[in-house]
Amino acid sequence: MGILTDLYNTVAKFFRPQEESEDASKSVATNRLKLVLMQDRTNLTPKILEQMRGELIDLLSRYVEMDKELLELNFEQEGDQVALMLSIPVIRAKDEEEIEAALNADKDAEEESSEETAENSDEMDEEAVNQQEGDETPKVSAPEEFNKNEGSESAEEQHVEA
Amino acid sequence: MTGRVIVITSGKGGVGKTTTSANIGTALAKDGYKVVLIDTDLGLRNLDLLLGLENRIVYTIVDVIEERCKLKQALVKDKKNPNLSLLAAAQTRDKTAVTAEQLKEICDTLKEENDFVLVDCPAGIEQGFQNAVAGASEAIVVTTPEMSAIRDADRIIGLLEAKEEIKSYKLLLNRVRPSLIKSNEMMSVDDVVEILSCPLVGIIPEDTGIITSTNKGEPIVNDENALAGKAYRNVAQRILGEEVPFLDLDEPKGFMAKIKNAFSKLKAKV
Repeated sequence: MGILTDLYNTVAKFFRPQEESEDASKSVATNRLKLVLMQDRTNLTPKILEQMRGELIDLLSRYVEMDKELLELNFEQEGDQVALMLSIPVIRAKDEEEIEAALNADKDAEEESSEETAENSDEMDEEAVNQQEGDETPKVSAPEEFNKNEGSESAEEQHVEA
Repeated sequence: MTGRVIVITSGKGGVGKTTTSANIGTALAKDGYKVVLIDTDLGLRNLDLLLGLENRIVYTIVDVIEERCKLKQALVKDKKNPNLSLLAAAQTRDKTAVTAEQLKEICDTLKEENDFVLVDCPAGIEQGFQNAVAGASEAIVVTTPEMSAIRDADRIIGLLEAKEEIKSYKLLLNRVRPSLIKSNEMMSVDDVVEILSCPLVGIIPEDTGIITSTNKGEPIVNDENALAGKAYRNVAQRILGEEVPFLDLDEPKGFMAKIKNAFSKLKAKV
């Protein structure tokens, strides 16, 4: 009987359709292709994306303390619309004094680096983001609630229409 | 009569533009429509070979443009089907021998007396592409389920979208290998359509018969038994406005495959 079972299993294995595997080259190809096509379609090079990521970190870290290493900037496609997804693991929100201090520190830094006096350092940075995005003005919706408990993490997602 | 001018394009080379042009043209002509195929790949002409007409070419498109002959004189009639003719590309010249305006003029003249003018576009997105597209109002984008071909097709679709004269464009997915799709080693038809978000006009299975048909200079649509031939005949029907379901490529064809299929069904019951 044992021989027969072995034989059956061997034969059955031969006829069984191949099982789906997570790392099948098809899904690798699909994901790589999706990303490269987003870059092609939007004309955003990896260099510009990296720059954008850096500037967004600078801007947002005035208001929240976050895990910079885990910040993700990705494209997602919904129909014809391409969305820029920003996922930020927020450690905690800064209080008003800290925000004030961060803004002033940035202001001082800018005054030092350039002769022109920046009226509002916030606007300066937003302009920089606008230039990356092209003609359309990005709508960055401010996160409404922060988790104020120190140490705990919450991810806020912001959508920027690309 | 005003015929339809359709450009067959892809971006990437070697995905089957010329094979597609030859087969769709032959299929439409077999259905009784008057068809002219234009090879715009100057310096790298091949459409004549696929149709088996390479020994009959006297004048080329450049001869027409440089007025060494009349347009009618340059049209080579197909061996089997008088409805089908070819305007060959010049083999000794490059893309600069023709301008977009000149090609558009030729298309405009030809569509007066034909039901279909099919323009076989060269690979690339430069002048040759711009020339081929100039006279067309429809496009078929040929691609295969490979990353590089899909990326190039996406680029071509972007360029076609920007052209006002192109009223519609459709995707033809060539060299599909159902067994690889089944084992998740090849992107499926749905994957490609989703990524490119472009309507499909045809799915052509990989078929070794294409090689022998090219060897003989006989488009595979003439082979009643070939699966790729049937798929191309279906594409022609869809171009004519008929709703033809896409071939079920999952069906095993060979004798061994049938036994294998029957066995696995039996096993499922047990």
